[in-house]
Amino acid sequence: MIDPPPILKTWPRLYGAVLLALVVETVLFYLLTRSFH
Amino acid sequence: MRPADWAVLVATLAAIVIYGVWKGRRQKRLAQYLLADRQLQWYTVALSVMATQASAITFLSTPGQAYTDGMRFVQFYLGLPIAMVILAITAVPIYHRLKVFTAYEYLETRFGLPTRALLAGIFLLQRGLGTAMTLYAPALIVSLVLGWNIHITTLVIGVLVIIYTSSGGTKAVSWTQTHQLLIALGGMAVAMVVAVRSLPEGVGFTDAVRVAGHMNRMNVIDFKFDFSTPFNFWSGLFGGLFVALAYFGTDQSQVQRYLTGETVTQSRLGLLFNGLVKVPMQFFILFVGAMVFVFYQFVAPPLFFNPVQSKSVRAGALAGEYRQLETTHEATFAAKRAAASQLVAAMESGDGAAAAQKKRELQELQQRDAETRKAASALIRKNDPRADKTDTDYVFLTFIMQNLPTGLVGLLLAAIFCAAMSATASGLNALASTSVIDVWKRLIQRDLDDHTYVRISKGMTIFWGVFCIVFALFANRLGSLIVVVNQVGSLFYGTMLATFLIAFYFKHVGGKAMFTAALISQATVFVCAATLNVAWLWWNVIGCTVGVAAALLLQTFLPPARTPVHAE
Repeated sequence: MIDPPPILKTWPRLYGAVLLALVVETVLFYLLTRSFH
Repeated sequence: MRPADWAVLVATLAAIVIYGVWKGRRQKRLAQYLLADRQLQWYTVALSVMATQASAITFLSTPGQAYTDGMRFVQFYLGLPIAMVILAITAVPIYHRLKVFTAYEYLETRFGLPTRALLAGIFLLQRGLGTAMTLYAPALIVSLVLGWNIHITTLVIGVLVIIYTSSGGTKAVSWTQTHQLLIALGGMAVAMVVAVRSLPEGVGFTDAVRVAGHMNRMNVIDFKFDFSTPFNFWSGLFGGLFVALAYFGTDQSQVQRYLTGETVTQSRLGLLFNGLVKVPMQFFILFVGAMVFVFYQFVAPPLFFNPVQSKSVRAGALAGEYRQLETTHEATFAAKRAAASQLVAAMESGDGAAAAQKKRELQELQQRDAETRKAASALIRKNDPRADKTDTDYVFLTFIMQNLPTGLVGLLLAAIFCAAMSATASGLNALASTSVIDVWKRLIQRDLDDHTYVRISKGMTIFWGVFCIVFALFANRLGSLIVVVNQVGSLFYGTMLATFLIAFYFKHVGGKAMFTAALISQATVFVCAATLNVAWLWWNVIGCTVGVAAALLLQTFLPPARTPVHAE
């Protein structure tokens, strides 16, 4: 039995948060790149 | 270096070594020595995982990469968060349940001894060479820029690492790494503040970002697909995913870090924190490089940043030609500085047309300067055919030595030494673990008491430390082989990852099929690396795909594997 994570209550939610952060970072990087072209 | 810098450097390094020895005292049992008794919390696991990957080269070369090529190198890390999630779901629970000491121990439960021995052997080969390089590369750069003796620099870093790693084992390594990483990142933040504050009056942080952007240093994402370029979105996402899966899932230097977690939850949180923080951290380090680039638009940079090669060509038969290039470089710099100041003024006043014109002018001047630097590089190669034609690795250290105030130079050097020590320490720690658990305890002497195995582990740590120092001392005689050694991980990671993927997900595949497939996969990667013009990140994908496909195909001709006792 694996304990739930200390934040976001379930592991799938925490995994989703990590992947969402990656998507947000990619979008921000893209906007930064585009703003100078 | 002034006395205050020496004081900061020596005090920091001494504090790290004493802290490591103290933190790792009284290690009696093998699980204590190799896995810190599986008692560490997620934050120590996370910082240890991050410090293991962030060697001195990360802090020395990455800013230089942004200086010469912009920030697109960050794309290399885009696959890493996905890999952290996959490993948190799959590898962490399996390793914890089996209570293994090394990743290769698990392979015996799935495929038998030959596959375990093959993978452990591959690991010892590639990590042994890799750890020697993490010792050699920063020692080389620091020695060239500061005029120190490279042998002494290598020996000092190597011996300091051996002292606390052999005496304190994994606990000492993990705890010192948390402090070392914080010192290194703190040093980078200081360098960025100094770079921005040293800009001329009227040029602020926002202006610096805009100048960097207009000179193509904010080129973070490139969606254009190209097999031959190493850093674009697709190679970063897919190639980077395979590299990260292999590195964090199968390389004992990383697996050992999260095996120290007290529970599955602590290990998982450590990996997920790495997945969350790694990309912004690399962005930050590259951003420091971009700010150093802007700094050098207002303060004259050398034509070529490697001081030894510049000195050599100035003293040789090509001195006249090199001096001409320096004159051109100085004239271009003066024009660039004027154009950059005018660009900032135009942006401040909101004059879009003038800003656009100055931007074009600045880009043309930058192009002209790049051609001058290319010609200088060619001269340097003509003067010394063995010389490295790039000076990327020397940009950041030159900036530190020439522009930081007294005391901070010592702090930044301490940061670089800390990074070198932390990556080397986890390498030695993992090499010792694999040598003892997968070789000595499995193949040589199986029934010794725990205390004896701890003593053997300490001996193995010293052995691998000496191996790395000796290899590093002779590395400068290997010439272009150094490049090969740097990419050696990608030569083997595909095969290693294929083996673990089959172990985790294809339970019907047995040892014979996997062992043969691993050999086929490895041979294919060697052939591809030697004959195809494919960027090295893709070697991981090729090796893994061939390994998995070959194992599945071969298994169709063989009787199904017995379900191992420990596997799900």
